[in-house]
Amino acid sequence: MIELMIDGKKVTAQKGETVLKVAQRYNIYIPTLCYHKDLSPYGGCRLCIVEVEGWPLPVASCTLPAQEGLKVKTDTPLLKDLRRFTLQLILSEHPHACLICDRKEDCAHYMECIQKAPITFGCKFCPSNNDCELQTLVDYLEIKDIPFDFHYRSLMVERYDPFFERDYNLCILCGRCVRMCQEVRGAATLDFHHRGPDTLVGTAFRLPHLETGCQFCGACVDVCPTGALRERYGKWQAKSEKSVRATCALCNIGCSINLNIDSEGKLVSSTPDNNQICVRGRFGIVPMVYHARRLTRPLMKKDNRLVEVEWEEALSYVASKLDEHRGKTGLLFGSHMTIEALESLYRLADDLRCSIAAPLDIDGKGEPLKLEEFKDESVFLVVNTDMIRDFSPLLLMLRMQSKIQSTIIVIDSLENKFTNMADLWLQPKPGKEFETVSLLFGRGKKRNTTGISHETLERCKDILKKRNVYVLYNPAHSRRIDVPKSVRTLPLYSSINTLKICELGTDGSVDDILKKKTIDCLYAIGVLPRLQKGYKTVIVQNCFPPPFEFDVFLPTVTFVETRGSVINIEGKVKKVRRAIDPVGKSKPDDWIFQRMSEILKYDIKRRRPRQRKKKLSRVFEDMGTSKKYPVNLLVRENCYMYQGHPLSSLMKGFQRLRDDTALWISVDVAKKLRIKDNMHVRVISRNINLELHARVSDNLPENSVLIYNHPFLGVDQNQAVRIECITKETR
Amino acid sequence: MKPALIISAGTCGLARGAGEIVKAAQDYQSKRRLQQKFDIIITGCHGFCEAETNVVVHVDGKQIFYQKLRPENVKDVIEKTLLREEIINNFLWSDPKTQQVYVYIDDIPFYRKQKRILLGNNLHVKPECIEDYVKLGGYSALNKALKEYQPKRVINLIKESGLRGRGGAGFPTGKKWELCRKMKSSVKYIVCNADEGDPGAYMDRSLLEGNPHSVIEGMIIGAYAIGAREGIIYVRNEYPLAVKNIEIAIKQARKRGLLGENILGSKFSFDITIVRGAGAFVCGEETALLISIEGRVGRPRPRPPYPVEKGLWGKPTNINNVETWANIPAIILRGAQWFSSIGTEGSKGTKIFSLVGKINNTGLVEVPMGITLREIIYDIGGGIPAGKKFKAVQTGGPSGGCIPSELLDLPIDYESLTEAGSMMGSGGMIVMDEDTCMVDVARYFLNFTQQESCGKCPPCRLGTKDMVQILNRISRGEGREGDIELLENIGGNVKRGSLCGLGQTAPHPVLTTIKYFRDEYLAHIKEQRCPALVCTALISYVIDPELCGGCTICAKNCPSNAISGEPKKVYAIDQAKCIKCGICVSVCPDKFRAVKKVSPALT
Ligand SMILES: Cc1cc2nc3c(=O)[nH]c(=O)nc-3n(C[C@H](O)[C@H](O)[C@H](O)COP(=O)(O)O)c2cc1C
Ligand code: SF4
Ligand code: SF4
Ligand code: SF4
Ligand code: FES
Repeated sequence: MIELMIDGKKVTAQKGETVLKVAQRYNIYIPTLCYHKDLSPYGGCRLCIVEVEGWPLPVASCTLPAQEGLKVKTDTPLLKDLRRFTLQLILSEHPHACLICDRKEDCAHYMECIQKAPITFGCKFCPSNNDCELQTLVDYLEIKDIPFDFHYRSLMVERYDPFFERDYNLCILCGRCVRMCQEVRGAATLDFHHRGPDTLVGTAFRLPHLETGCQFCGACVDVCPTGALRERYGKWQAKSEKSVRATCALCNIGCSINLNIDSEGKLVSSTPDNNQICVRGRFGIVPMVYHARRLTRPLMKKDNRLVEVEWEEALSYVASKLDEHRGKTGLLFGSHMTIEALESLYRLADDLRCSIAAPLDIDGKGEPLKLEEFKDESVFLVVNTDMIRDFSPLLLMLRMQSKIQSTIIVIDSLENKFTNMADLWLQPKPGKEFETVSLLFGRGKKRNTTGISHETLERCKDILKKRNVYVLYNPAHSRRIDVPKSVRTLPLYSSINTLKICELGTDGSVDDILKKKTIDCLYAIGVLPRLQKGYKTVIVQNCFPPPFEFDVFLPTVTFVETRGSVINIEGKVKKVRRAIDPVGKSKPDDWIFQRMSEILKYDIKRRRPRQRKKKLSRVFEDMGTSKKYPVNLLVRENCYMYQGHPLSSLMKGFQRLRDDTALWISVDVAKKLRIKDNMHVRVISRNINLELHARVSDNLPENSVLIYNHPFLGVDQNQAVRIECITKETR
Repeated sequence: MKPALIISAGTCGLARGAGEIVKAAQDYQSKRRLQQKFDIIITGCHGFCEAETNVVVHVDGKQIFYQKLRPENVKDVIEKTLLREEIINNFLWSDPKTQQVYVYIDDIPFYRKQKRILLGNNLHVKPECIEDYVKLGGYSALNKALKEYQPKRVINLIKESGLRGRGGAGFPTGKKWELCRKMKSSVKYIVCNADEGDPGAYMDRSLLEGNPHSVIEGMIIGAYAIGAREGIIYVRNEYPLAVKNIEIAIKQARKRGLLGENILGSKFSFDITIVRGAGAFVCGEETALLISIEGRVGRPRPRPPYPVEKGLWGKPTNINNVETWANIPAIILRGAQWFSSIGTEGSKGTKIFSLVGKINNTGLVEVPMGITLREIIYDIGGGIPAGKKFKAVQTGGPSGGCIPSELLDLPIDYESLTEAGSMMGSGGMIVMDEDTCMVDVARYFLNFTQQESCGKCPPCRLGTKDMVQILNRISRGEGREGDIELLENIGGNVKRGSLCGLGQTAPHPVLTTIKYFRDEYLAHIKEQRCPALVCTALISYVIDPELCGGCTICAKNCPSNAISGEPKKVYAIDQAKCIKCGICVSVCPDKFRAVKKVSPALT
């Protein structure tokens, strides 16, 4: 325990604590700008300076370690002068009409309704007005004028990337974004450029973020104290009035988020809640909720035309059909809904004797991932899984849990951001990933056909020998991995509620149900299967229209319009919240099931769902190319999905991140077949025959093509294929 | 010692052609098979830049100093002086003022008043030859320290000697070592700061090039005292010869068991690596330097924690300047008393300055602390060339201050320089004569520091930029009432508010020129007049009709056809056309000298 004096008050500090932190603990206000509680102290902005008795110059309190007997003063005329001077200098580089205008007060009155006026009106030129830390500091330091000449940087606003824009004319070089990106996200996309008065923040060579290691997590946007970094959607929205703490259900991590609502009850943004989230939760929710293609009224086919109907009519029709097809209905459902809705669904299925399935690959018992288990000095061996894209918050938690000593080894035949940042990347030939794992643990056949050199494997074995090893893989495209008992294998299920569905069981895979001859009514809830035959009745329950014909459409809500709970990869039950009213006439899934049971006159609440078959693991076959099928097709799960729709087909920004609906073609295959981007091609194998648009990529190994699978594509594993060109370039 | 030709071949000497001298001498020697008769010794810089390319002819125990030699002179030097002890008057150095000619190096005023404890050996050692250094007693200090002294005793010796850091701030070296020694950590580092970013300063380069072993020996002793196992020399990449010579020296030292495991049979192990910097001024600042060694962009961070607490890779790290390290062996060998007998109360030993600018004898001078500026400038430096008047001297590099002629009798030590508004810095000394405009000087230096600012903290990044803009407008004649006060105000705040030494000292040139030459500022602002006739916007070129000989030369050379007149009659400059290039001044024949500068500008 250290004792020191701050402003004449005796205070105590922990070893290593900074004077700023101590002061904050004692509610002594020191202005700060570059300091951020989640980042390492930087000491750059010079606003947090304090005087220490006996020291010749003021020092930054955010970097000053508390020392025994220090006598610190946080508020003296000299400090006030210097802070004012510094802030005035900062403002001489930052457009400041909004900060020191003498009509500031009058103007504030008009600002709220500004969306209705052209944006050039008044001083509303800053996307961050009312939400800017400079404004607070200007008030605190009572700055009324800037005695220095104004320097405008005259930079182009960087608008070419999805999700957020960057106006570095507003940047004050506090470096928070840089530290966030480097220290916390490990993405190292942002850094300082140049020096002295030319200093700027940005990417290397000012490349667009799409061409860098940027994860589009938006963490930089959220720590920027000015309007320099701004979310594109909602940039001109009014300031949010309240925040609802909720859970993001776009993947199985189920991050806590804040849903920010404006005064009219409209969702403005979704931001992290003192944690790290990913691009889906940060930028995917709002545009999805207010998507133009969203269907928010029940539809029914009448005289071969779709017409809007009332809920009662739609539901009575559906109930009668389900009743009629008792025992012959296939019920397919996605995991997007709440646990409560899932349970109602199971009871409904029991009552109507539906065969049910979800598009999940469940391996083993579906045990939760216990983060607390991870020890220091761990090695994470990740197979065929891009953890940065699909599980970035989890990756950050793993790293935090296992401290700095952890090592990440990736086995993947595909190159991506994760393989590039891993401590060691083993790139086997396509399809040889599991053989590589076996070799590493000295199992399986002795001959090495992986394409990885013996030395590399030995080096890797050495690392594995010394540490606690965890093998992480995505069961959707990795078979169960053969490892010694001492090594833990941890399946990374990508969809929320997977653990719940494991517990409840299903009647087989989606494919099993679709292939079943006896079924003549299909009820698809938040999932888009690839239909293989005609049905008497097709019922769709979703937010967005499906790509196939149907008889009834029941519009559901998204997870921000309903309340309930979800269970995540760690087995934690988390709450989703009704932050806004359901859009249009859409209804929550559990409401729909409830109403249906009322119409069918049984009590949905009383019964417990029947236990169904548990395991759902698949057999993975080897690829084995032949003359007829000469190309390797690699399949990866598309983890950017909602209710069966790839996010990239709903939102342009996600498509620009990665075009998930394309067939990705390696450069050599493209060259041989003269395929260019956007041409239409056909992929044919013993099992599939699909038409897709092409994308050429130099991240693919030779002689291979790649599909990001989702149920509607129905390509569930690696196989040998033939590619045929259909059209010349389109679009 | 055999007769020898000692050739000064540091970077500056080589630039002036020392390489050809060496080649001429070697060719002659091998052609005539004179290897037995004399040696050719290629050394680092001898310090007397003005006299480059110079050689010292060592015959009969005497050292004859020849200056400004050309390769074709080498034959004469060898034949006459080396072999027949004949003095060649033409090559001797003569005092530009008194015209007196000097034969022996020790008699030359430039050398006579110096005390060359560190630089002296540059004359005697081939930098790539450890034997030379050992012959002069090199590494016996290390031997003594390891065999006779406990680490604590070494630190006490350094403390008693009163040695203070030569890199700028003058922190007591022994105290720094002690702080670092006391830190509890199994890993500690020592660093030699050879970044030397001040324009016009090259004492560290000269030491590393000419006598690298002295620095290495100092570092080994320091590491022993502090308890470090690893040392790093951070040297800028623009010093290729220095890098080469240290590399060789380190290898030789390893071979002789002076670096590596169990040095000289003791239990102490230590080694040195070289890290090359990309040459940013701010990377000389210790925290930026450490960050740069770690492979990141060199930007200072606030202290405390100081490097001795949390330095390289978070471990206690002791940083000293090249010259500081080079002082260590001498102190160990000759004792703390000897060292502290040199210098003043608060500043002990000698200090090397690079004496440049408007001065007759430019060069590196090593003088005891406490010597006056006057002695350096007039006795050693030989005064101001071309009969001009001394105006000011800038000490401490670009962030030092300008000291006016009233303070010429200031004894040089850390405190008195600081009191005068300047600083010791790393030892740059730029002399200015009456033709220098102080506003222009301040503008020049501030512009340098402004561009070299790392850009991290607003007071330095933006405050200096604003100051430069104000100075720019003053020198354009657009100065405003209150600009001087504004400069003082911003300058004071930048000094107090900046994060690192760069910002904390950057305003010095401006503040000292305002303090000592306020009139000049006022003349610029109030009368649009530049008293030194330097600021282009405030001067005009005119032809004095009384003096013009009508020779037409100026009119023919004027690039903008601004000069007209008839041959043999008086010429005149059309101010509207004149672009103020000054060509007319330089071409007007000496017998007329009719073109004059006037200020304020004519309209
Ligand atoms: C902007 C700036 C540049 C500096 N450049 C140098 C340099 O080139 N060489 C040097 O030895 N010290 C330089 N210093 C001083 C170092 O920070 C440090 O004080 C010094 O290396 C300590 O060594 P000493 O105790 O032996 O003087 C510089 C300081 C500042 C603020
Ligand atoms: S969005 Fe994330 S990864 Fe991209 S620059 Fe910002 S912090 Fe870095
Ligand atoms: S963009 Fe924002 S967070 Fe990044 S340095 Fe500039 S002001 Fe700070
Ligand atoms: S004072 Fe200048 S050089 Fe030092 S940290 Fe601040 S901006 Fe960088
Ligand atoms: S908050 Fe401490 S320097 Fe910026």
